[in-house]
Amino acid sequence: MSMKNPLILTPVFLLVVLFAGCGGDDQDQASGKMVRYLSLGAKVRGMDPMDIGDTTSSSVASQIFESLYQYHYLKRPYELIPCLAEDFPTGEDQLTYTFKLRPGVVFADDPCFTATQGKGRQLVAADFIYAWKRIADVKNISKNWWIFEDHIVGLDEFRDYTGRLKAGENVDYMRPVEGLQAPDDFTLVVTLKRPWPQILYLLAHLPTAPVAREAVQYYGKSIHNHPVGTGPYMLKDWKRGNKIVMVRNPRFRQEFYPVEGSPGDREAGLLEDAGKVLPFVDEARWQVVEEDQPRWLIFMRGQLDASGIPKDFYNRAIDPSRQLRSEMKDKGIRLQIFRDPSTYWYGFNMEDPVVGTNKPLRQAMSMAINRPEYVEIFTNNRAEVAQGVIPPLFKEYDPEVINPNCQYNPERARELLKEAVEVHGGPLPTITISTPGTDTLSRQMGEYVTLAMDNIGLKVKIDYMDWPSFQDRIKTKSSQVFQMGWVADYPDPENFMQLFYSKNVSPGPNNFNYRNQAFDTLYEKAKAMPDSNERRRIYHQMENIIRDDCPAIFLVHGVAFVLHYNWLKNYKPHVFGYGLIKYQRIDVAARQKSVGR
Amino acid sequence: MVSYIIRRLLYAIPTILGVLLITFILFNLIPGDPSYDIAGKSASAETIAEIRRELGFDKPRFLDTEALSQGRIAAAFDSQFFNHFRNTLTLNFPRSLTSHEPIWDEIKSRAPASLTLAAPMFIGLIATSIAIALVVAFARGSWVDTILVFICVVGMSIPMLSYILFGQHYLAYELGWFPILGYESGMQAFKYIALPCLLGIASGLGSYVRFYRTVMLDEMRSDYVRTAFAKGLSSPRVLFKHVLKNAMIPIITTLVLSIPFLFLGSLLLERFFSIPGMGSYFLDAFNSRDFPVINAMVFTTSLLYVLGQLVTDICYALVDPRISLR
Amino acid sequence: MTEAALTSDIAVGKGRSLWADAWRRLLSRKLVVASLIVIAVFVMVALGVYAGLIARDWSEPVGPRYQRPSLEHGFGTDFLGRSVWRKTLYGAKISLTVAFLASLISICIGLPLGAIAGYFKGWIDELIVWLFTTVNSIPYIILILAFAFVLQGKTLFGYPLRGISVVYLVIGLTSWVGLCRLIRGEVLKHRDRDYVMAARAYGCSRSRIILGHVIPNVAHLVIINFSLRFVSFIHAEVILSFLGLGVKGEPSWGVMIDDARQELYRGCWWQLAAATLAIGLLCLALNIVGDALRDALDPKLRQGLE
Repeated sequence: MSMKNPLILTPVFLLVVLFAGCGGDDQDQASGKMVRYLSLGAKVRGMDPMDIGDTTSSSVASQIFESLYQYHYLKRPYELIPCLAEDFPTGEDQLTYTFKLRPGVVFADDPCFTATQGKGRQLVAADFIYAWKRIADVKNISKNWWIFEDHIVGLDEFRDYTGRLKAGENVDYMRPVEGLQAPDDFTLVVTLKRPWPQILYLLAHLPTAPVAREAVQYYGKSIHNHPVGTGPYMLKDWKRGNKIVMVRNPRFRQEFYPVEGSPGDREAGLLEDAGKVLPFVDEARWQVVEEDQPRWLIFMRGQLDASGIPKDFYNRAIDPSRQLRSEMKDKGIRLQIFRDPSTYWYGFNMEDPVVGTNKPLRQAMSMAINRPEYVEIFTNNRAEVAQGVIPPLFKEYDPEVINPNCQYNPERARELLKEAVEVHGGPLPTITISTPGTDTLSRQMGEYVTLAMDNIGLKVKIDYMDWPSFQDRIKTKSSQVFQMGWVADYPDPENFMQLFYSKNVSPGPNNFNYRNQAFDTLYEKAKAMPDSNERRRIYHQMENIIRDDCPAIFLVHGVAFVLHYNWLKNYKPHVFGYGLIKYQRIDVAARQKSVGR
Repeated sequence: MVSYIIRRLLYAIPTILGVLLITFILFNLIPGDPSYDIAGKSASAETIAEIRRELGFDKPRFLDTEALSQGRIAAAFDSQFFNHFRNTLTLNFPRSLTSHEPIWDEIKSRAPASLTLAAPMFIGLIATSIAIALVVAFARGSWVDTILVFICVVGMSIPMLSYILFGQHYLAYELGWFPILGYESGMQAFKYIALPCLLGIASGLGSYVRFYRTVMLDEMRSDYVRTAFAKGLSSPRVLFKHVLKNAMIPIITTLVLSIPFLFLGSLLLERFFSIPGMGSYFLDAFNSRDFPVINAMVFTTSLLYVLGQLVTDICYALVDPRISLR
Repeated sequence: MTEAALTSDIAVGKGRSLWADAWRRLLSRKLVVASLIVIAVFVMVALGVYAGLIARDWSEPVGPRYQRPSLEHGFGTDFLGRSVWRKTLYGAKISLTVAFLASLISICIGLPLGAIAGYFKGWIDELIVWLFTTVNSIPYIILILAFAFVLQGKTLFGYPLRGISVVYLVIGLTSWVGLCRLIRGEVLKHRDRDYVMAARAYGCSRSRIILGHVIPNVAHLVIINFSLRFVSFIHAEVILSFLGLGVKGEPSWGVMIDDARQELYRGCWWQLAAATLAIGLLCLALNIVGDALRDALDPKLRQGLE
């Protein structure tokens, strides 16, 4: 063994390392291709629509898959327009829907279409039925069964049938489901068990996208790696944990950029491409970036077209008057502010013997929190104070209502706490708050809340845990108070109200285990009603019941700040739709000028 | 010799079984049930129960006593405990619960990225720190020693996070010497791993130098070194010929045994520089209670560890006649 | 007085003179004395925090948020306007408690197991070697995460495990292997030494031999191991905090560094600086003392470390 080796190795090694460090990293930008650069903050689990339940995977897979409906890109409030459907459904009652499919839609070319040597075939109504049966199939353990559960005639029975099969037995997908019929290739008839006014929103949801049976059979268990859809893009390269590259689907049907939008869109230049053929961008590239600092740095370098603003970079980007700082403007960065359909709260477990039966205690805790200060510390004012559960984005939101329980009032809170002691019949024990997060922000929020409760004379202790432990805690009803939020899937308050419906108690989505007869009656009534003034009134009634009963400390509604470079054209944030890259365009020359400086 | 190797191999079996036992116990004690995550946020209680059944979580934990009492032996052993042992020992790793990707495929695609970063970093770290430790040991007691030890301790006290934040911001972003993040396989990789590698070396240097300094000093004080000095041999010669040579044995032992853990990668560096290695895969699996994935990783590492131990033992036996082939 | 007691006195007496000698040599070096004083100060601060004399009101805001270090605000303030100086002092309690109790746990497991394995040999030895090889072959990071999740929120003898208790338990329960192996190796050498043979010949019970003779003669290894491992335990607390499994609800140095991860970009460097400085100072002092201890107890050490 030569003893000198390690010593010699050191400088050589360092030299190699330093040398390798030189060289450029933007050769892609010189090619003139229109490339959209995006980042991914979390792992993309798979691209099988049936199995997608997280926003990260949705935001990627939605460029490949399309559903019957989609959201209008520019119009606000959000409204649906047909996508794979030719028009809105017809049907004489609220129980039968007949969808006509848009003709000329084909699946992207893929080796799975063996009969046609890889050429993608036409989309037919049976593809929808097949996709939805896959969601119902217990063996597939789909995340999305909640969409169809107890809605379509015969589909629940189909699920039972798949559950009864023994291991090794194949599910017969030809088995008819009464409520899903395809009289011809371009007609889909859906029969419901009871009225379901939200159906169209859910048919705009990625998991309901049609899937080619050939692909599922060809790729088998690896189908999540081989998305075959009808959308504007196709998957070209996917390195897990690293990057995803998509290219334009040459056989994408003709679709055009919208010709009308909301007021102000024309002035903002969002209608410059009106009526042009979609998509514009040739290639979309996602880079996985898990930490805030590197994401911010590559955005500032121009290696991302758009980015959110991490909490601690906020002051570098935005001045106190909520305007973009001039050095950011000089780089050609623009700021867009928009509301999220989200509400965040501390929920009470109403089955807990201490907090569940003690309304003054719940009210006191709710009044102890100074929401404007909370918004300032933890979100840099990127949130709005909540007065209830429905976020301001919804048309059912009533800006007039001031909820006394949501006002910071330590004096009143201390009085209420005295009542609470009487109700409890003795001094209050320490209240435990379960927090789903062990990161810095969760810890800091915990410290803040402890301080706030201390201020009114209530002892709390924060139990920090990671998401699976937290879910365990709330699904088994063993938490006392829990920190949570909800982001709506579609613009109907029903999505929030279901969280308080007594039949949905844990492990269902009603984690408050809230039970209120009056609320239930109203919920059941409103759930079956199409949108109307009457329904809006009922929703107000329901929200008032919750505000008064205080099963949760409603904190804030989210407001998002997004930065993007001016070379990214037609960029308008959208909170419900995901397949939006097709509308966007890159001014390649402007990017080159700016980045190549 | 052959019988020695066989005996050593047999010794590895209880260790592997022990690892399986410990993982099984831990997985059963860790709170959190992956079926909630799989079921989706609006799932009903029935859906969750169905998913638990599909995943086999409703099977008896150790032994199906009911089946046993009915005399169905095979069915009696269809329990979580025996399935865990059977599947792992036959290397029949199931698919990941969250991504449905075969675990083995994902390990194969991620381990090279981790190693591409970890291996040069490890070698660089060892080489540099041994070099410095030699200097320090040689200059024992002088001001050079004091200053270097001081620098080492200061270096040890600065958290790795600070090195990363600083390096990424100044060296990569402000000065543009390195790409900010990213990874490509093949020769391209060097461009991307250069900075994380340097930062890893810088942050690890302090404690490594201190460790090797101790090892060297131990050797310096041994009789034969004293004799060598007394014989009037020049210092560098003694240093290389005797001290380093003898210090190499404990050093190599620790090195071989830390190699299996290299493949798990460096969590922090991989996260900040977006290197698609095992670190983020592992953390992700943990955060979604993807037990099959964690199990596969633990099993693979411990297998490598046991093998590493075997190899060092056999090498010792070959080199050192004093070790009996008992 | 029996013969056995006599021999044991000889063995322990030998130890005592070693200790006294070591102590004298330690005190003869200025740097070591200074380091000992630094360590003593840290310990006093930690005890002061326990007694409620120091930094009791760390959670009270003392000024506006994110104030730079100044005469008025000392080390500056954090995101809730709390004093960084007080948090740093309070952190001494957490870090020293974690390091001390984790060491204690690992000694309590590692020392007896190592001594028993080394002394008895045979199947007991095989069992203990099997145990620590198995634990050692599981990646440390996985072990530490798994233990942390398992312990979180559980109760031990009616005492709820949260925050700090989880941290030292996790670190202690996962770090005894090194010590156990070290002691086993050393005891293996001692068991055939003359003084042990003599004790055995005089008919001392085995527990008496182990406790009275063998352990005192390997105890210096524990001390050195302790002084050097202390530092790595303080670091482990920092890493656990990054993974979100650290101390919560109380300021530790790890927590302060974790805060700084995000705050650095506001230009808020003082939390990081204060915590790093505190860790650095303590590490430096411990290292110097640890080294000096090794030097002082050196003659027996060399074989022990192999």
